[in-house]
Amino acid sequence: MKDEHRLLIALQDLDIMIKEVKDKATSKELEDLGFKLTGLSVLQEARTKLASAVPKTLLNRYEKLAEHYTVAILPVSGSRCLGCFVKLPTSFFSSASRVELQTCENCGRLLYIP
Amino acid sequence: MEASKLISFFEEDLCIFHLRSRKKISALTEIVHHLALQKRISDERFILDMLKNRENLGSTGLGNGVAFPHGRSLAIKELTVLFARSAAGVDFEALDGKPTHVFFLILAPSDKGSETYLAILSELIGLIQKPAKLKALNETVDFPSLVGIFEGKDD
Repeated sequence: MKDEHRLLIALQDLDIMIKEVKDKATSKELEDLGFKLTGLSVLQEARTKLASAVPKTLLNRYEKLAEHYTVAILPVSGSRCLGCFVKLPTSFFSSASRVELQTCENCGRLLYIP
Repeated sequence: MEASKLISFFEEDLCIFHLRSRKKISALTEIVHHLALQKRISDERFILDMLKNRENLGSTGLGNGVAFPHGRSLAIKELTVLFARSAAGVDFEALDGKPTHVFFLILAPSDKGSETYLAILSELIGLIQKPAKLKALNETVDFPSLVGIFEGKDD
């Protein structure tokens, strides 16, 4: 897996966490359980730093998808896109596909083979 | 969720009864490495980075010697719960400043909602409110005794 793809996956994990904290219902539930969620600004700083390391074209693709989907990049499991569960074509699993990020032809999400 | 149902999320292979690390990051690293050895995660680095970020948001060491590291990641396929215990205690920067002896790690896949792990978190936090259960968790050294804590009667 390319470094830039690894950065994007880390960015997706971080974005999910930030989204959870910003979600009032989830953050209230966590706070009611006793967790102190005081470090959102630290996460946002980490996000800025991480995003700046992702190549701009790739970041733009990701950001556009993230406007529509909570999870914009996904690993392939079995032979399906885990975002829309559409079966992927055989060509998806060629040797080149294992290195490059692919796009689900149905939903447009970025896909990688872990 | 009943306590006896809660134990169904635990597996013997995902229990560390003698955690060696004494500091926060090394403890998380040891736990994540154990998950990798058990082939439960596709990439140690992603999980470790996610857990570090979660700790930067606020310590998951809630005090009373118990911590609940948790989060969602692309590097995990299914809901995974790991139990770890340290007799000596870990400096986990807990909210009460005391050493942490018991760890419940909860990981959920990114494509599932947070409710998948919040329900388990809630039940586990309820469990440790019972002094006898907490004491038993601190002392457990094998999987059958851990199961017994969940299946045993309440205080």
